[in-house]
Amino acid sequence: MFNSIWLNLYYYLRPILKWLLRKTTRLCELQRICYGESAGYSRSYGVEKSLQLSRSPEIKKMVQCLDKLSDERKLCGRVLKSSLQYAVGTALTVKDINPFVHNQFTPSFVRCSEHIWGYRQLVSEIEHLRTCQYDPTNSDHETKLLKLWDHLMPSVPLESRVTKQWQDIGFQGDDPKTDFRGMGILGLENLLFFAEEYPSAATYVLSHSLHPQKGYAFAIVGINLTSMAYHLLKDGTFKTHIYNISKSMPSIRLFHQLYCYLFYEFDKFWLQAKPKNIMDFTPVRNRFEENIRMLLSQPSAAFRINLSIDTI
Amino acid sequence: MAAFSLFGLLAILRKLKSSPDKELRILLLGLDNAGKTTLLKKLASEDVTHITPTQGFNIKSVQAEGFKLNVWDIGGQRKIRPYWRNYFDNTDVLIYVIDSADRKRMDETGYELSELLIDDKLVGVPLLVFANKQDLLHAASASDVAQSLCLHQIKDRPWQIQACSATAGEGIKDGMEWISRNVCRKK
Repeated sequence: MFNSIWLNLYYYLRPILKWLLRKTTRLCELQRICYGESAGYSRSYGVEKSLQLSRSPEIKKMVQCLDKLSDERKLCGRVLKSSLQYAVGTALTVKDINPFVHNQFTPSFVRCSEHIWGYRQLVSEIEHLRTCQYDPTNSDHETKLLKLWDHLMPSVPLESRVTKQWQDIGFQGDDPKTDFRGMGILGLENLLFFAEEYPSAATYVLSHSLHPQKGYAFAIVGINLTSMAYHLLKDGTFKTHIYNISKSMPSIRLFHQLYCYLFYEFDKFWLQAKPKNIMDFTPVRNRFEENIRMLLSQPSAAFRINLSIDTI
Repeated sequence: MAAFSLFGLLAILRKLKSSPDKELRILLLGLDNAGKTTLLKKLASEDVTHITPTQGFNIKSVQAEGFKLNVWDIGGQRKIRPYWRNYFDNTDVLIYVIDSADRKRMDETGYELSELLIDDKLVGVPLLVFANKQDLLHAASASDVAQSLCLHQIKDRPWQIQACSATAGEGIKDGMEWISRNVCRKK
């Protein structure tokens, strides 16, 4: 209640405040953010909010245009370059900034734009993968599935495509195709990335999952963690980490890496929680998510994704 | 789409002359990929497009005007089935969900159900079987499912088979109405 009154008040007072600050600092809000806030989440998120609240028709049009392009996943190559130029150009014109006097503004604003619309595009890319159902008649999907086996079980050959062996890496039955469900091909891509990029970490986690009492279904837990990562991305929780870590447009690899981090950390958390058996999964998972959300709520949050395993 | 919410169910249940703080414990079982979680989410009017295989279990309870419905959705994976029994105590209704399109595993699901029906902890508990996934072309009809499961041989409890499509929300309401009538008879 109090919050909404304050937000309303702020909305109307903002222009006056901005005008006062502009007169006293001789800098517009975007400049104050770009110079005053440290590079990364604080700066990019500040610019994002400022652009969202802007009442200038040119800025609104520019935001709409870039939103649309990123939702359609078109921000790459020449389109990306011209879009960034358009964004900077609009900001410079509307705010009447001389780029030669304020030569720090352009690179700083471009970086922020890459963060803002790169993240938005990443959400769209991930959503696209998630809604793509696993299809056993698609040879690309099938190849990836078989590759997952080879990476996780390099010394054990798969006897046939439909086999109980899939349960050894934590699928539910003899054909993994129905296990991806609401996470679609994204679930498989995540698992495969983990097994391919961090083979020692993945097999280490897999070995924990095979423990008779404290074990869990590796692939199924993996798909549940895909769901967690997906929701953290979608509701913007990952913004702190991604804005802090990206030097340019955030790529899909960044999402996969975050997933691997979640999986590796979840495995540790699970063992530390001393579960009785697999039926403790949901409460442990929820506590784990709370912890991750708390860590990511810090503006300086940046996970160190270094999944090296000490081999004795 | 037959919109159905727990509030609809609660309205039905409110008509029953139970004590006001009555808790109803509903157990949701079935093989993996039968559609238990989708059914649970549909009952709670939640989005069903982001579902993942259940590791462990999910519970949803909704409290409204003295009624508390606790729906327990337990994972159907073979490795989890031995734990089903830990959740049997004080069950008011057993809902058993079947993937009607998965004809290869009809015997397996029939076997698991027969094991449930001979368990001491579930004696006399009303049974509702959902013949789910009726939206799929090659789904078996409810009567075919009833036949493969030999449901007509059940004499020790009220039971019902209900065709449904959990994703579309069809048939769930009819099933829940049957539950409310049969819980009424029991209490």
